[in-house]
Amino acid sequence: MKILEYEAKKVLGESGITIPEGVLIRTPDELTAHLPSLPDNVVLKAQVDVGGRGKAGGVLMADKTNAVETAKDLFSRMIKNTPVKEVLVEERLDIIHEYYLSIAIDRSTRQVLILFADAGGVEIEKVAKEDPAAIRRASLPLIMHDVPAFMVRDLLGNAPKELGPVINRLYHVFVKKDALLAEINPLVTTPRGVIAADAKLIIDDNSLKRQGITVNRDLSDREREAERFGFSYVELEGTIGVIGNGAGLTMSTLDLIEYYGGRAANFLDVGGGAEQERVMNAVRLVSSVPSVKAIVVNLLGGITRCDEVAKGIISAGISQPVIVRLAGTNEEEGRKLLSDKGYQMPDTMEQVVKVAVEMTR
Amino acid sequence: MIFGDKKTGVIVTGATGHQGAFHIALMNEYAKNVGGTGVVAGVTPGKAGQEVHGVPVYNSVRDALNEHDASAGVLFVPGFAAGDSIMECAGAGLSLVVAITEHIPVHDTMRAISYAKMNDCNVIGPNCPGLLSPGEIKLGIMPAQLFSRGHIGVISRSGTLTYEIVDELTRAGLGQSTVVGIGGDPVIGQTFTDVLAKFSDDQKTKAVVIIGEVGGALEEEGAKATDIPIVAYIAGISAPPEKRMGHAGAIIEGGEGDARSKIERLKAMGVQVASRPSEVPRLIHHLI
Repeated sequence: MKILEYEAKKVLGESGITIPEGVLIRTPDELTAHLPSLPDNVVLKAQVDVGGRGKAGGVLMADKTNAVETAKDLFSRMIKNTPVKEVLVEERLDIIHEYYLSIAIDRSTRQVLILFADAGGVEIEKVAKEDPAAIRRASLPLIMHDVPAFMVRDLLGNAPKELGPVINRLYHVFVKKDALLAEINPLVTTPRGVIAADAKLIIDDNSLKRQGITVNRDLSDREREAERFGFSYVELEGTIGVIGNGAGLTMSTLDLIEYYGGRAANFLDVGGGAEQERVMNAVRLVSSVPSVKAIVVNLLGGITRCDEVAKGIISAGISQPVIVRLAGTNEEEGRKLLSDKGYQMPDTMEQVVKVAVEMTR
Repeated sequence: MIFGDKKTGVIVTGATGHQGAFHIALMNEYAKNVGGTGVVAGVTPGKAGQEVHGVPVYNSVRDALNEHDASAGVLFVPGFAAGDSIMECAGAGLSLVVAITEHIPVHDTMRAISYAKMNDCNVIGPNCPGLLSPGEIKLGIMPAQLFSRGHIGVISRSGTLTYEIVDELTRAGLGQSTVVGIGGDPVIGQTFTDVLAKFSDDQKTKAVVIIGEVGGALEEEGAKATDIPIVAYIAGISAPPEKRMGHAGAIIEGGEGDARSKIERLKAMGVQVASRPSEVPRLIHHLI
């Protein structure tokens, strides 16, 4: 789950990394009370989870005389279709130089990867493409308590030594918070020291519970309902609903729909175990999206009980047609239950997909 | 055939849980049919003295190894305890751990894999269906009835999609030497590269099918490092960017890990890439 900027900065601040002075407001009026304690020049940053926030108009400059007016303007905006509910008002920093620092997981080495560059800011991805050597790298196993001093020296190169402690503090945040990504971009030098001007933190969804996070905000209402049932669910923009077991098989079904010229409206992975009630809930959830005109069910596995699946599909009682591919135990029984009710049951996943694409054309 | 044979003794952790007990029965049914050793002991802390389908249960892996010969462990413990269980198996001296468990915190996986490596223990998974060498051994939850004995190796990040493609191979008369589900998580113990190196040394394996997904670059790394003939299938070509597809491993990373560019890179290396699962057998026939 992505953590918003102000929350990430709070975590960094607690670890000893200097963050800009600022205040979080939920209405423009709240700013009035804070004005006396704020510096003359401020920056207002919409707390929305969208990439390219600055370019989309989510970051505005102001001074004391027009800060409240500017806040009203920002709260009235939509940033890439996301309403602005919270705004972080911060001091405008006197920046000497911008750097880039991030810590992530390297799948290839199964280790932690630290990246540092002398040029920070919004262009870092361009730097990565055009001059990969400008981004210095160090990797270490997660069982290390600290980043060894030689790695810090290698990462910094000719950058000021005062940046060094931030690397270790960010590593400690990464470890403590079960992070998939901890990023400071830009990390800036100023007359009053090194400051994290922006911050990004992504926490492993599998660790939310032990991190004390009860609601995964990255999910939409339907996705959250799906999660409650133990499904993984994603919404797309087509007309065919897809239910499968296993992420790979479900994705492959989606790919086949595209191959035959159709488009999926959503897909749901029921995961392991397909009892009647689970299947019923899955079918109802997928069919609740208005654009779904037909549903493909593709369930395969040695331990999937086909009679349970069939009962689940029938008891869902939905209006859209359901085309079913079933393989597993009690296959005959399941097929009979469905064929008695008039469901189409082609033999292979390709045939199932073809029938659904034809129906929705 | 790689990672074990008929003689391999197996310990199951999380043995008394619903999943653990169910699959102990299926693994031992398979072992009985092929004349193999199968699961010799189960482990659940606090449940020593119980039996699961005739298999004795111990409090720890060490206790189990005091009474039985085994070299492989299969994990059915819940996500929060799985990192610990991998380390317990490795520390007690098992040389192979198959972690079926899903939803393990990725930091736990990274620590457990580091610790296992220091103890010369290979980890398959987590979040995987295990492995099956037809006629020899089944470690995990793969449905044995779809498999047949032969000379094709299979390595997959998926579970059910593996069964789909194994079914296609079997119907086409292409039996398998070993089928390995390496797991769908972002960090896994054995990667395509590791397993391909083992297949490369295996006399029985003549060609390998790799079944990949969007995300990461493990498929390309594997293809680059091996000389054995490969056919690939990559799922997720229609995956929207930045959407989670069930596996954390399927998060698309900065446009680099999307399925289409992955397929292009594999083709540029001369790898045959199937556009649908049903194309895999035909491409394999071309190779051998």
